[in-house]
Amino acid sequence: MTLPTDQHTEGKKDVTFRVFRFNPQVDSKPYFDDYTIPVEKGITVLRSLNYIKEHIDGSVSFRAFCQAGICGSCGMRVNGLSQLACTTQVWDVLAKSREPGVIKVEPLRNLPLIKDLIVDMDPLVDKMKHYSNWVASTMPEAEMGKKEFLISEEEFLRYDKATDCILCASCVSECSILRANKEYVSPAVLLKSFRMSVDSRDSLHEQRLAELVKDHGVWDCTHCYRCQESCVKSIPIMDAIHGIREDAIESRGMKDTSGSKHAEAFMMDIEKKGKLIEATLPIRTNGVVWTLQNLLPMAVKMIMKRRTPPPPPLVKSAKGIKIFRLMFREMTEHVKQDHKSHQ
Amino acid sequence: MKPFDIVIVGGGGAGLYAAMEAMKTNTALNIAVLSKVYPNRSHTSAAQGGANAALANKAKDDTVEMHIFDTIKGSDYLADQDAVEVLCSEAPKIIRELENIGTPWSRMEDNTIAQRPFGGAGRPRCCYCSDKTGHTILQTLYEQCLKKGVKFFNEYFALNLSVSGSRSNGLIAMNMKSGKVEAFPAKTVIFATGGYAKMYWNRSSNAAGNTGDGQAIAYRAGIPMKDMEFVQFHPTGLRKSGLLVTEGARGEGGYLLNKDGERFMARYAPEKMELGPRDLVSRSLETEILEGRGFDSPAGKYLHLDLTHLGADLIKSRLPQIREMSMNFEGVDPIEEPIPVRPTAHYSMGGIDTDNQTRTVMEGVYAAGECACVSVHGANRLGGNSLLDILVFGRIAGRTAAEEAGKFTPNTISEAELTEQLQDIRGGMHAAGHYERYGELREELGQTLALNVGIYRESSLLQKGIADIEELKERFKKVRIFDTSDVFNTNLMQVLELKNMLDLAETVAAGAYARQESRGSHTRTDFPVRDDANWHKHTLATLVKGKVTLGEKPVTMGRYELQERTY
Repeated sequence: MTLPTDQHTEGKKDVTFRVFRFNPQVDSKPYFDDYTIPVEKGITVLRSLNYIKEHIDGSVSFRAFCQAGICGSCGMRVNGLSQLACTTQVWDVLAKSREPGVIKVEPLRNLPLIKDLIVDMDPLVDKMKHYSNWVASTMPEAEMGKKEFLISEEEFLRYDKATDCILCASCVSECSILRANKEYVSPAVLLKSFRMSVDSRDSLHEQRLAELVKDHGVWDCTHCYRCQESCVKSIPIMDAIHGIREDAIESRGMKDTSGSKHAEAFMMDIEKKGKLIEATLPIRTNGVVWTLQNLLPMAVKMIMKRRTPPPPPLVKSAKGIKIFRLMFREMTEHVKQDHKSHQ
Repeated sequence: MKPFDIVIVGGGGAGLYAAMEAMKTNTALNIAVLSKVYPNRSHTSAAQGGANAALANKAKDDTVEMHIFDTIKGSDYLADQDAVEVLCSEAPKIIRELENIGTPWSRMEDNTIAQRPFGGAGRPRCCYCSDKTGHTILQTLYEQCLKKGVKFFNEYFALNLSVSGSRSNGLIAMNMKSGKVEAFPAKTVIFATGGYAKMYWNRSSNAAGNTGDGQAIAYRAGIPMKDMEFVQFHPTGLRKSGLLVTEGARGEGGYLLNKDGERFMARYAPEKMELGPRDLVSRSLETEILEGRGFDSPAGKYLHLDLTHLGADLIKSRLPQIREMSMNFEGVDPIEEPIPVRPTAHYSMGGIDTDNQTRTVMEGVYAAGECACVSVHGANRLGGNSLLDILVFGRIAGRTAAEEAGKFTPNTISEAELTEQLQDIRGGMHAAGHYERYGELREELGQTLALNVGIYRESSLLQKGIADIEELKERFKKVRIFDTSDVFNTNLMQVLELKNMLDLAETVAAGAYARQESRGSHTRTDFPVRDDANWHKHTLATLVKGKVTLGEKPVTMGRYELQERTY
């Protein structure tokens, strides 16, 4: 891998890097700068940015530390998708570029912007603290160092993949909930919470879970799967999120939260009708009082605009409901069996 | 700012362990950890292989004593034997402690911590978590520090110690977010800033930030550097980038092959083969290349690390990071074809001279981890001993500083000193008279070091290296900082890092030139044998009136007499 040089030879492509620029000291709003350089096959986005910084514009600012896909510093959006610049091949991105020959480089979303491609990671660290993203060992400090906990390969495998997380914040940047609500726990923190909670050495399961089922917690996720799709370490983040939810409902008896009630109401409706009975969903999730206090004005507006969902007796069962019910029962039996064998 | 009891510079394994231990020792202490990156980014995360400890989980007959002997022999008898004893006897305890606080170790069938063979070790004693051991240790320590409420100053770049007479008043650092130069008055300062092998740049496996900042600061404050000439070359860096393929790949059974398809290690270490000690294996690769048995490519000559016979399952389960890296940076899937490799500068054995309690010669200043030289690695470090070193001595540093902080009265750092520092670092931002480009100077430094102060060294080459470094230091005075803003000026940070590398490069080259023998990682073609009569001693490099001045220090011996080192 030789660096791109000024000589334009065959096997190189002219690539325009459209780089997001913002220096809070002088700029009132962000803008883009174009830098066009010849890039050969095998060069990563980070190496291209290094080249631009060293040869064209020393003020282009981005983080990079290990440059080997291990430390997680260089998370940024390349053509709209959050990833590590150091492991992203320029030619691969180019093949999918909407504008031929142009690669747009922007900072991660959902974290406060500091300068150019650099965002503030502190909010993420604060959330790790808030949700106790650590093992609080069941062993007293004075006893430590004397003997090992005996842990099966099976238990190790339960959290092995989750410990691959390098906190690059690609998932944070892609999360659709965070775009609407910056207080949302965020996928990375859910993943870490899950990793701690399946560790038999940890003593904080209950406390952590109690925090996770509150507002802005695990129930806010809408299963868009963007976190998992963008994960640079291919971690099944959604499995972790589902794991926490199942844990909350099944084993720890936290059926009293709006999130779990919402999920149960969904299940009931689907089993009965094959679709949702939307009119009563808020009541079943959050109770009558809450619904009246919070949703009455909206309900009135909806009635005025004739946009109300049909009342429950009028909701017709979906087509083929009988076959569907059989499938549904078979599926839920399966899940129950799985749970039993797990325990 | 209110004076701190302890300021820890660096948030890798050593720094975080120090912080954790200091808080455990005395919860009333006011402790700060400064790091130029978020601590979880630190280079500890790159350590793939594992950490040695004679737990005897795998080989029931393993003992601390054998670990001590392997380490001393591996060091080519330059390690201080009392320090090695501390390292190895603390090892089982600290690995268990890490396990107890949540580190996800891979497991054996009997559910104990798994261990695997590693270079230069008589028994399989390397504890690991697949090939992400350092990463998981770092995560665990960071999590525990968050739990304990350690006060972090993230993205602060350490500039200098403030010194009055023989004592430090604390640290001066730049807040990257604001560009402000801030004072951290402190009773004690612990340096835990990692190694300096990145000065070899493209021929180094290190992170871009492993620029020896702590060592350079200590050196400028008059603290001696010990054994700086000993830089370990790892045998298997990726051909194009220098990035590392862990020794674990050979531990799992990988072969090294030359272009004739020959397992050439049979010639150099017939018994240990690929698992010989690093210095020996690196020299073997370099010799194969020099004698024309390497492969040719535009990116330079290289050899093969062949894992194909291990099978897809083992590679996927035990060496997933290696596979990912060779695919990302070489375009090679090790399941299908051999990985192109060549030696790469990997680890700095030398560093800030400390005693076994991590104290330096300056009162209230301590150092631990790769930035320190106790010395436990001597002339050559064994694989799996560096993670162990940062853990064991990080903890000792935390405890020692916590116990000794009470002895010192806090000093202050004057505004005038801060202003002076600020003017100093911003000098290069003014265009007038500043035209040298940072990138060029850095490339040239890496090149001259790799060519003249590399694996094979020789008098005239070293003289050339020393002259080159001197010239680069002269040119550095005219370096230009192109980013003139205060906020997150990474350009300024790069230039300051280069300054640190240049200062330290001089001590590496000077030590290498002075040491007229071959020992461990230091190989002089003009002095090919170990010379115990004249050179069984540490070198000390001290900055006196702007010049590197060499001194020496005896090696602490113990139970083990000098022997010839063969494998």
